[in-house]
Amino acid sequence: MTSPPAKKESRVGRGATPRPQVLVIDDEPQIVRALRTILSQNGYQVVSASRGEEGLALAAASPPDVIILDLGLPDMDGITVCERLREWTRTPVIVLSVRDADADKVAALDKGADDYLTKPFSADELLARLRVALRHAARWDGSRQESAVTAGPITIDLARHEVRRDGEEVRLTATEFRLLAYLAANANRVLTHRGILSQVWGPQEGDHVEYLRVYIRQLRKKLEPDPERPAFVVTEPGVGYRFLADD
Amino acid sequence: MKTAVLVTRPVVRYLLAALVIGLTTGVLRWWQADRGTALVPLLYLLPVGLCTAFLGLGPGIASAVLAFLAFNYFFIDPFHTLTVGRAEDTAVLLVFLVVAVVISQLVGRAQAGLAASQAREREASLLYELSTALAGLTDAQGIGQTLCEQIRQTFRARRVELEVRGVSDAASLEAAAAEAEGPADGPAHEVMALQTARGRLGEIRLWLVVPPLAPSEARLLYTFASQGALALERAWLAQAEQRARVLEESDRLKSALLSSVSHELRTPLATIKAAATSLRSGEIAWDSTARRDLLGAIDDEADHLNRLVGNLLDMSRIESGALRPRRQWNLLAEIVAGVVQRMQPQAADHVLEIDVPEELPLVPVDYVQFEQVFTNLISNGLKYAPPRSTISIRASLETPEAVRVQVSNQGPPVPDQDLARIFDKFYRVTAAERVTGTGLGLSICKGIVEAHGGRIWAENLPHGFAFLFTLPLMWDGAPPPRVPVEGESAG
Repeated sequence: MTSPPAKKESRVGRGATPRPQVLVIDDEPQIVRALRTILSQNGYQVVSASRGEEGLALAAASPPDVIILDLGLPDMDGITVCERLREWTRTPVIVLSVRDADADKVAALDKGADDYLTKPFSADELLARLRVALRHAARWDGSRQESAVTAGPITIDLARHEVRRDGEEVRLTATEFRLLAYLAANANRVLTHRGILSQVWGPQEGDHVEYLRVYIRQLRKKLEPDPERPAFVVTEPGVGYRFLADD
Repeated sequence: MKTAVLVTRPVVRYLLAALVIGLTTGVLRWWQADRGTALVPLLYLLPVGLCTAFLGLGPGIASAVLAFLAFNYFFIDPFHTLTVGRAEDTAVLLVFLVVAVVISQLVGRAQAGLAASQAREREASLLYELSTALAGLTDAQGIGQTLCEQIRQTFRARRVELEVRGVSDAASLEAAAAEAEGPADGPAHEVMALQTARGRLGEIRLWLVVPPLAPSEARLLYTFASQGALALERAWLAQAEQRARVLEESDRLKSALLSSVSHELRTPLATIKAAATSLRSGEIAWDSTARRDLLGAIDDEADHLNRLVGNLLDMSRIESGALRPRRQWNLLAEIVAGVVQRMQPQAADHVLEIDVPEELPLVPVDYVQFEQVFTNLISNGLKYAPPRSTISIRASLETPEAVRVQVSNQGPPVPDQDLARIFDKFYRVTAAERVTGTGLGLSICKGIVEAHGGRIWAENLPHGFAFLFTLPLMWDGAPPPRVPVEGESAG
């Protein structure tokens, strides 16, 4: 398992700012119970639904800040819920899946889900993903579009097309830069193979995972302190890649 | 059909018989002019016999009667009339007629017997051909196809169709053989039921070049149909037996699984339960180190349980043939590096050495499944090899179309007779108490590698032990793609 990004603040928005609201759509009472405890202890408000339709209705009635969606719902396909949500809202969606449902996970991500967690997951992981999703949502609201991303020794200046490692400029090819820029602009979020390929190479190249394999290797060689143990451009097995940036 | 009767049309045969007797009469008249008539009736018997032999019984008898008349007309006094003057001539004539007819009948019957036995021989050889063709087949579709093809050739049919409608899809079948592509024109000329002891299976339809079939051919077709029905029944019985065996095997597997699993699952559960209840009980104030230890144990054992459940699921998927790799072009080096990175904590006591050359082509594999193969092979090494020894992972190009991977450790050798069996489910070389695990790891590796068209085996090395596997590089006939890499131009 990849280690979660360093935890800077364990609780979100205590005090002046309202507590972010999390909508949990899951039919397993034990999971909901555990999530409710963990999340409310960490400064979130929790609303839960045990069915897809109910979840969609709740999401419309009182728009949450983030949605945790289980893919195995009794009444409808989690992927469909994701699709229906994306018809009208950009609220971040984190899907929960079991280990053997890679294809579903990827389908949900391709349909607009923001991140995923494989059951069983740790609370740290969950909280880290929630923070990333909320921060990314805030960025999309246009309030703060960052032009520089830092990850350990790596700094990427998206506006000036400049990449540095330990202060020294790293020379990248045009495609390498486009790939890194896309990863960095979505720092800490999981990006599917298809998503990356169609953004960086074009929608018609969505199936050419081999490009990605080779270019990711190139990027790691140029950026990672130890390319054999990548710490920043990390593989999400069977799903895609994630760029781990500093918080 | 080929028989002794040379000419098939009856009129022609009778005419030929008449011609033969006419010619004989001419020759005899020229020949007996100065020799008398004593030998004439004897000499007439020859053409009569030949006519029967070569033209059939009817023309034979006709030739006998004709010969009798000609003999009477040309050679018995008074000549050129059918009246007979002398009593002894009457006797000669009558004896001649009787002898000629009897010969005709004898020869004809022998001829018919010969023809019948030849026909039987032919039928037998056709049936033999059919049963040889069917004997090697075990699948119903193949049997149906062969049956259609054999019937088409034997009966010179333009098209043969076979249709079986069973209670289930597994017992249904459609097959056809035709001279030319395309659907049949018009209704079938001949329909034959496929019948077994348990009832009607289906039917065979024939479109012939020259309909209809002769009675003997219809009989042969009936025999073909019964043979085919038997072969189909045999195939379905074999299938049912196979299913029963699989069920039996899976039953056996399940009970082995249950005993192994209940033990394996309870161990981590016991730890979790003990740790959780300790933390909950209000009787002891745990210091922070002890708390952390207990919580750590819960976390670790939960992961362990998760892996066990994952292994069980994988195994049942491999068993049921539901393990479908989601193939993509992958870099082996990336998979191996990911596994090694993730296993670092468990492998802290060992040295992991990786040699996966960068210039290896891309491999068409399921990333997640091969992560698992490497994880299982490495953890096997971690379990059996002594601490501080080296586990090495090497990959190389075996042929231009296959890559070969070796995961070796410095553990103890495995007896040669066990080398193949270590990939069996629940098989353990070492006593189960010494090493934890479900005994499924290696059989999962085997299942995954084979699902990718590869082969896995184990070998003893001079100073250790190695797992090896090969993987084909071709994917649906396509070689690994080469990704064009552009030149550097920052910005």
